[in-house]
Amino acid sequence: MRVRQQIIPYLFLLPALILLIVFNLLPTIATVVESTFVISLRSGERVFAGFANYNRIFNDPVFWKSLQVTVVFSLIVNPLQIALALGLSMLINQKLPGIGIFRSIYLLPVAVSLNVTAIVWRLMLDQNTGMINGILFNLGIERQPFLHSVDLALWSIIMIASWIGVPLWSLFILAGLQNIPPPVLEAAKIDGANAWQSFTRITLPLLRRVLAFVLVADTVANFLLFAPILLTTQGGPQLSTNLILYETYRRGFVYGDLGASAAMLSVMLVIVFIIVGLELYVLRGQD
Amino acid sequence: MSDAINSTTARASSAKRHGKPLRATFTSGIVYTLLIIGVLIVVIPLMWAMAASFTPNHKVFEYAYPFTWRALLPVDFTMEAYDNLFARGFGRAIANTFFLAIATVIIGGAVNALAGFAFGRFEFRGKNVLFLTIIMLSFLVPVDLTAIPRYILVNSFGWINTWQGLLIPGLANSLVIFLFRQFFADIPQELIDAARVDGATWLRVLISIILPISKPVLVAAGLLMFISQWNSFFWPLLVAPRQELRVVQVEISLAVGQYGTIWNELLAGSMIAAVVPILLVIPFQRYYVEAITGTGLE
Amino acid sequence: MMFVKRLLLVAVLFALALSPTTAQDVTTITWLTLGWPVEATIAEFEAQNPDIKIEAEQIGFNDLFTQIQVRLGARSPLPDVIAVDVPLVSGYAFRNWLLPLDPIFTGDEVDDWLPAAVNAGSYEGTLYAAPISTSTQLLFYNKGCFDRVGLTPPGADDRLTWEEIAEIAPQMTFDDDGDGTPDVWGFIWEQMVRIYQLQALPESLGGMAIGDDGLTVDGVINSPEWIEAFTYYYNMFNVWNAAPQGEEFWPADIFETGNICMFVGGPWNIPRFANNADLDIEWGVSRHPYFEDGVPATPTGSWHIGVNANSENVEAATRFVHFISTGEGAELWWREGSGDFPAQQSVLALFATEEEFDALPMSYMRTAADEATVNPRPRAVTVGFLEYEQILQNIFQDIRNGADVEETLNLAVQRIESEMAKYIE
Repeated sequence: MRVRQQIIPYLFLLPALILLIVFNLLPTIATVVESTFVISLRSGERVFAGFANYNRIFNDPVFWKSLQVTVVFSLIVNPLQIALALGLSMLINQKLPGIGIFRSIYLLPVAVSLNVTAIVWRLMLDQNTGMINGILFNLGIERQPFLHSVDLALWSIIMIASWIGVPLWSLFILAGLQNIPPPVLEAAKIDGANAWQSFTRITLPLLRRVLAFVLVADTVANFLLFAPILLTTQGGPQLSTNLILYETYRRGFVYGDLGASAAMLSVMLVIVFIIVGLELYVLRGQD
Repeated sequence: MSDAINSTTARASSAKRHGKPLRATFTSGIVYTLLIIGVLIVVIPLMWAMAASFTPNHKVFEYAYPFTWRALLPVDFTMEAYDNLFARGFGRAIANTFFLAIATVIIGGAVNALAGFAFGRFEFRGKNVLFLTIIMLSFLVPVDLTAIPRYILVNSFGWINTWQGLLIPGLANSLVIFLFRQFFADIPQELIDAARVDGATWLRVLISIILPISKPVLVAAGLLMFISQWNSFFWPLLVAPRQELRVVQVEISLAVGQYGTIWNELLAGSMIAAVVPILLVIPFQRYYVEAITGTGLE
Repeated sequence: MMFVKRLLLVAVLFALALSPTTAQDVTTITWLTLGWPVEATIAEFEAQNPDIKIEAEQIGFNDLFTQIQVRLGARSPLPDVIAVDVPLVSGYAFRNWLLPLDPIFTGDEVDDWLPAAVNAGSYEGTLYAAPISTSTQLLFYNKGCFDRVGLTPPGADDRLTWEEIAEIAPQMTFDDDGDGTPDVWGFIWEQMVRIYQLQALPESLGGMAIGDDGLTVDGVINSPEWIEAFTYYYNMFNVWNAAPQGEEFWPADIFETGNICMFVGGPWNIPRFANNADLDIEWGVSRHPYFEDGVPATPTGSWHIGVNANSENVEAATRFVHFISTGEGAELWWREGSGDFPAQQSVLALFATEEEFDALPMSYMRTAADEATVNPRPRAVTVGFLEYEQILQNIFQDIRNGADVEETLNLAVQRIESEMAKYIE
């Protein structure tokens, strides 16, 4: 009986673990292993090559440029999305007439796929026929090359990613806000705290755990982003939106350079691990 | 941001005085203004895409530049794009995707709930190691970019162009397991103890005690699994390119041809793809928020 | 525990129920292909070959290359038959993904194909992909634009020079609504950032597409010919402002609405415009342009068909490939399927005899059929074509939108060489 009791959790875990190991973990390990092989294209044989693929990507300016773009992108998109999501969640947390309708509307982007979002925005931002430029034209502002100017393209990608990201993460923050008992805020008000003080001293600390979760999940989601790039700028203009995961996709699935693609993915995984680990460590340190 | 807070506190105090001071009206005015700006950002792309999907292909961009309100309404109304889509077998794709998504919710829901239950309610050797390595790692790895070894594996099972190949690799979902774990961990121990004293097995505890009080997390997890399967593109494209097995997103991609894209069909397909999850999300939004609240993340 | 067992049982039953069952006498082969109307061709083939059933896996243009990369790279036996974009033949053959096809065709059948198509479908002297269509390019013009500026449009057999186009295109660019941006543009290339179409520019000046070894690009794509050609291209968009910048789009759409006066495009536009009952512009066609001091050079190349080297149904697959690329099958494919130009000279000859092509505008197809045979310039033969093409596509898009020509071509050299490095062992 005792032994049976002990194996119960393992039995419950078994189906999920088998599925995750077979369909997620094994392919990941295979990819990391692949990064140490080159395919002799002549014979089709895989040959162990140690760090040859890594040497190749580390000597490739496109890789470094992509890494740089990814860093800039992450440093902008994550704080921006979280700040906007926080603002949005506070707005839809107001107990005002009709707020339910607003909440439902803000949920719409969450249900729309990233591919559809990217396609629609790609058309909206088109220089010649896009509606955004149509609106600018009505306002007397000249056309903007949103998706093919080095200055604007990355911002356009950030905007497209945020169209889904902000409502999605605000949903999590809203849940956190709804757990703050109103008397806590009222007490602060009676103590003479102004709005800013009660926000920084009461609301933010109480949201810390949910914000930590959102930060980690958002960081990962944005690191893994590549479909919108594929459907809009293809990394251009002049590699200014060539996020590392897109470059990884392009090497592996378009050029068929599996070794270099796997090496990039492995480097990416290490970076994401370190960053997420750091985020968790820093946020834990505040406890 | 401070305005938003201001409004809450102002309202709280104004409610007591049974009056509505000018300041509260002013701040709620600002709140509404911001809310409406946000709504425009959310709604305009969708309205344009919807209108364009009901427009003849050569007129899709007609009212966008210069912009007129006609761009947001199907003034040159036609069902052409939808007719073409369905003539090409889009109905089949919807049925396929719906079947897959429902199967994922049911089977995947069971698999993930069991795992979440084990992680949330049991102490066992290797628990943390298993959680950190397998669950967290699966969460961090981009599945599309590890598709080649997965394809080779699935191919060796003989699952290419089969329902198994479409369904089984996506059943276990680390985010959903995490969601279940958090929710189940917060259920009061007394509830479980009472049932255990009555001699219920753990499985019975899960089915008759825990699941009935976990409606919000079930809905949230269900939606999450439904939407991710409904929107999946890359894997179905690789594993089941056969006509009878096509899913919605793959069918949409066919509108991109060699010598041009049929924009109204692309958008019509996209709108159908968007409407189904939207119809599911809106009635369940209450649960969604509750579920997240219930995960103890706050 | 019962629950888990039941769940497993259900899962097993489910898997069994869904396993495919195969009939014994009929071999089913899969054909990975684009969204062409394949039904008539398949029906005819199946009628003639009752022991074979063809299952078409049709996918979007953008997804075909990834699909082939993953499935053939994984040594999957499916699909049996593959639509191959011709410049990729080398890369696929090099990787041993395609079955050599020489034994299945007679000398006469090979001789019937356009020589450029046979060469392009071969790698190191062996045929790996049989041609099922070819392509060419023509200049399409809106007669109304010529009338408006008081010029006479070229005749169907005239060949304008790029210099002449540079002269007239800016005149035909009009800003009718006065917003500072033209709403009628003088000129554009149909596939505005694709090497398929743009390679003709440096080639007309005597430039090459790639080094003789099929890998070298330094000194080739940044040669004086390329710089001159792409300075012309740059000027069209950035200096003469006669062609629209921005995202890629399909000019035929706005040619039909009168917003483009001239474009260089494929013959597939001829039936499109001819059959458009709502079209209210007068249009015409002339030969593909060339540089005054250079030679005529017209893009060519299209779809071939190959057999997966790992196919388990080689006999059935090669029978289908033979059917669709030769004789009556090829003719049927041209009439009912591809919508493209045929690669068989016997089928191309039909343009001259079929009544359908006697009168304008469909008689322009005869111009096209001739153009396909006079100065065809296939794309670069290189095992790394995808890398080469994709990187150049990025580069052309940048030049189109204002990036410095020489600097950008040098960057392309650097990027392509870094990709080609993996082929040199």
